[in-house]
Amino acid sequence: MDVYRFALRNISGNPFRCLVVVLCAGITAGMLLASTLILLGAGQSLSKAIHRLGADIIVVPESAAAQVESALLLGHATNAWMPAAAVGQAAVVPGVQAVSYQIHLATLKNASCCTVSNMFLMVYDPETDFVVTSWLEKNLGTGLGLGEAVGGSNVFTPAGEKNIKVYGYPITLRGNMEPTGTGLDSSLFLTLETALEIARESVIRAEAPLVIPEGSISTIMIKVRPEYDIGSVARQVAARIPAVKALAAPEMFQSQRAELEGLRNGVILLLVITTGFSLVLVGLVFSMALNERRRELGVVRAIGAPRSFVFRTLLVEAGFLGFQGGAAGSAITILALILFRRLIIATYGIPFLTPSLPMMMILIAGSLTGSLSGVLLAALIPAYRISHEDPTIAMRE
Amino acid sequence: MKWIGILFALMALVIGLVPQFTNCSAQGRAIQLPDGRSMPMKCHWTANATPVIAAPLLVAGILLFFSRGQEARRGLSLLGSILGFAAILLPTWLIGVCANDEMVCRLAMEPTLIFSGTVSAAAGLFGLFLARKNPAGNVD
Amino acid sequence: MIVLENVTKIFPRTRTGKAVAALKEANLEIQPGAFLVITGRSGSGKTTLLNLAAGLTRPTAGKVLFHGEDWWTLPDRIRSLERARKIGFIFQFPSLLPSLTSLENVALPAFFDLSEDAREAYTRARELLCSLDLGDKLGAYPRQLSAGQQQRVVIARALLGRPELLLADEPTSDLDDQTECEIMELLKRIHENTRTTIVLVTHSTQPVRYGTQSIHMAAGQVIPGPMAGDDAVKLL
Repeated sequence: MDVYRFALRNISGNPFRCLVVVLCAGITAGMLLASTLILLGAGQSLSKAIHRLGADIIVVPESAAAQVESALLLGHATNAWMPAAAVGQAAVVPGVQAVSYQIHLATLKNASCCTVSNMFLMVYDPETDFVVTSWLEKNLGTGLGLGEAVGGSNVFTPAGEKNIKVYGYPITLRGNMEPTGTGLDSSLFLTLETALEIARESVIRAEAPLVIPEGSISTIMIKVRPEYDIGSVARQVAARIPAVKALAAPEMFQSQRAELEGLRNGVILLLVITTGFSLVLVGLVFSMALNERRRELGVVRAIGAPRSFVFRTLLVEAGFLGFQGGAAGSAITILALILFRRLIIATYGIPFLTPSLPMMMILIAGSLTGSLSGVLLAALIPAYRISHEDPTIAMRE
Repeated sequence: MKWIGILFALMALVIGLVPQFTNCSAQGRAIQLPDGRSMPMKCHWTANATPVIAAPLLVAGILLFFSRGQEARRGLSLLGSILGFAAILLPTWLIGVCANDEMVCRLAMEPTLIFSGTVSAAAGLFGLFLARKNPAGNVD
Repeated sequence: MIVLENVTKIFPRTRTGKAVAALKEANLEIQPGAFLVITGRSGSGKTTLLNLAAGLTRPTAGKVLFHGEDWWTLPDRIRSLERARKIGFIFQFPSLLPSLTSLENVALPAFFDLSEDAREAYTRARELLCSLDLGDKLGAYPRQLSAGQQQRVVIARALLGRPELLLADEPTSDLDDQTECEIMELLKRIHENTRTTIVLVTHSTQPVRYGTQSIHMAAGQVIPGPMAGDDAVKLL
């Protein structure tokens, strides 16, 4: 029998105290972990999305700038167009290394229950593209042919079929890109040639035809020379092309970043309140439980236990309960976040990518440490008071 | 032990009720056949099967709440654990749900069943541990 | 063995809100081998005298010497160790820890002394319980024992370290007459067989005949009682 075993035996004596401390520790650890995971996951997701877009500057129609950013994040195409001639205007801006364009289209909604619906079609020009082509060369070794496409991580060929039907046209899925946690994971990249073919065939094959406005594009992707400042080039592009907005990649998704900032502040406030409340509750419950055990602890002192033994035992009891609660809270939080990740994205419109395993372990360790420290802190004063009390007074109670 | 019984009962309610509102049929969606008829999808059958797990889990939880004997507690904990695992397997292997990530059965029903199944299974295993044999007089 | 020199103990606050002088200028010397019975009404200071003798509570004035050393010049850790090794306690109230079995309760004092071997402690605890007819109750929890059985477990715990001094605070007050006799006979046997010094506090007169000496307490003061046999107890 040592301090640890003695503490373990004592824990079972007061189920109410156990429940309260474990719940408080669990909630604290869970909230800490959930908030850090979501904020970190959202940040990582935004970074990956920017990296996936691949361009230093993205030019979009000015009237739909915010919509386009949301659309990219959530995977919904917008009806925002600009003249294809803008590509040539952008190409001559000093500092521009490469220019390409994309056309954003959407599949029919609810076309079929078991194929991918609401896909974001990103049509690119293989002659000038520098985003998708490099990925294709690196991962597939070739470009895309007619009737072929590459999808985000959520896109798949339905079971039992060889193709994905897009407006009734069979598309062969050549591969999937890494997840970003955004709507780009539901996007399908295909060449202009394939898109035009789909549009032509959709008149016969699809419930409604695909219409690609002639002479119009959705976005212009610009690669900037290394020696030029991206912001400066973006301003020049916006000045040269009327009715557009030039978004420098580092500044993309500003509204979403602002939302995350607001979310973070709200979460921190909630965390502080919850932790404070938990600390007070744990301290109270511990105090009450120890008061009930005053005589018992007085006896332990009387038969030869030094103050330090009693003090350490009480802290170990608190530590056990805090660890149990923290571990359970962390486990439940991780499980819920992984399982309900898609629901969180769909419901709250925030991008979210599960952090890597090493990062998750660090965050779990952090939340466990936080909840354990909180419980120990809350139990410190009652434990000290009881262990240093005159045993004869304690035994008289 | 009582709290494990309460947990079983709560998870039983979740397993039995949530799928009834989060399968695609409940949202009015079905497979349209060429001859014009519609056919329910996999998630519909998964939702139909969940009460078969939920009902015995609820009973196990209630019995566990009131039971005192170690043998009974061991048996009920084991039952709860097995039913928890069944709840996990139902949407993932036994029957399944739709493949499309955006369908409500994938967004809500499947994760709910896996989550509540995991909680039940873990609680059941913990209950088995608590109700293990411990002869009197054992020295640590 | 134990010397109280002009010891006064005042409790600063009680439920009535007033300070209470539980012991007033007590002078007492207890030699090894005595079986001292202290009688007195409730509130006369008997338990306080016992607690002072064990170094459990600090005197407001005066000194309490254990083997010539003032208890309160020793650090808490040493004081506690001395109690664990040399003093056994038998309390009036049920004092077994409810979360431990009989065997664990008896062996508990040994675990405060890091130099003690755990196996040896459990072996001795088992022997003591068997010698007190509790061999079949090793794994029983206090709630599974009768009052008399619990008190015998407490006695076994008190005897674990082969103490020099046994302090018993009204050990039979909650017991029926027959069980009281059994416990008192047991204490008498322990005194006769091992010459352990016993100080027993009681409000009844029955246990007096089991002791070798007796003193009476009233209103915090020690009053000379009948001194029979050797003068193992002196009023200074």
